Amino acid sequence: MTTIDEKEAISLPQENGLAIINSKAPFSSTHGKDALDIALIFGSFEQNVSLFFQGDGVYQLIAQQDGSLLSVKDYLKTFSAFEFYDIEDIYVCQQSLANRQLGENFHISDVQVLPSIEFGAALNRHQHVLRF
Amino acid sequence: MATLHLVRQSAFATNDFAQCLSVLEHQDSIVLMDDGCYNLKHALMDSLIKRVDGTVNIHVMTSHAKARAIETITTIKHIEMKDVVELTFNHSKVITWQ
Amino acid sequence: MKTLAVVITTPPYSPLTTTAIAYVEAALVSGIDIIGIFFYQDGVLHANNDIHIASDEYQAIEQWQRLHQEYQLPLHICITAAEKHGIACDSIDNEKVNEAFTVSGLGELVELTTKASRLVQF
Repeated sequence: MTTIDEKEAISLPQENGLAIINSKAPFSSTHGKDALDIALIFGSFEQNVSLFFQGDGVYQLIAQQDGSLLSVKDYLKTFSAFEFYDIEDIYVCQQSLANRQLGENFHISDVQVLPSIEFGAALNRHQHVLRF
Repeated sequence: MATLHLVRQSAFATNDFAQCLSVLEHQDSIVLMDDGCYNLKHALMDSLIKRVDGTVNIHVMTSHAKARAIETITTIKHIEMKDVVELTFNHSKVITWQ
Repeated sequence: MKTLAVVITTPPYSPLTTTAIAYVEAALVSGIDIIGIFFYQDGVLHANNDIHIASDEYQAIEQWQRLHQEYQLPLHICITAAEKHGIACDSIDNEKVNEAFTVSGLGELVELTTKASRLVQF
């Protein structure tokens, strides 16, 4: 027989905040920047927002990129401001990296690389999801 | 409560459906709408149906499938837009894969 | 309380928008309280007064105007995205902006998501 405490411990955690899934590569569409703009506004309003990178979206995190060579605004540099905006939870799909033969050489720190099940579970801990 | 996934793209054209499947959990529901209806004939759908063994609810928008002359499958529920609205509130959140 | 916020990212001439409007209308008809529609990316084009869709095609903009009138449905466009799409939002009367729409910013999206029990993206 479970006690009240045990029952509370096994109940599902409250779903909280916004999750933004980034699924596109950085430089051939504006989806990455459009998603970033939303993330930063949520951060500046002190609302919980977490970032997820899946599919070609993982390319947004790879180090040594240089958007200036394309005359494209290098919004990737703004990722270094995540901490300042209290955007702390950044998740990357391990399978997406593996499919693209990518290592974990990212241009920002504190990125959590998760296998699919954990990636999905982390997504599920949020109340709302947008995907770009 | 579970998640409702709105799948709007063909797996023959994009990776959106595959990405949806990788985060799918038991008790989640999928609604195939727009070009997502084409996924009924994709290998991913077969393997999904086998894998989940009924723990994931799969629906297709009747009008969207019919418009595309896509045959019905008895294991898949055919629904209208008002059902999608109802599903929205029977699930804790909605993720759109487009 | 069943409250809903919807984000629209597809333009008026896209067939994908027809699905979105059908969803929004089905929700309104069933009594769901849609606290706002937020138009982002190409979705801001719905507010562009200079867009004319051929009369034998689906009139997305008319549908939004109708839903706005019938249900007092708030329609917000993101100002930055609007200007990028050729909808000037810098004058007092904003004659380029369809009057059913309100020029807002991403802050409005924050408002809508914090208040709505469900958020759906199209």
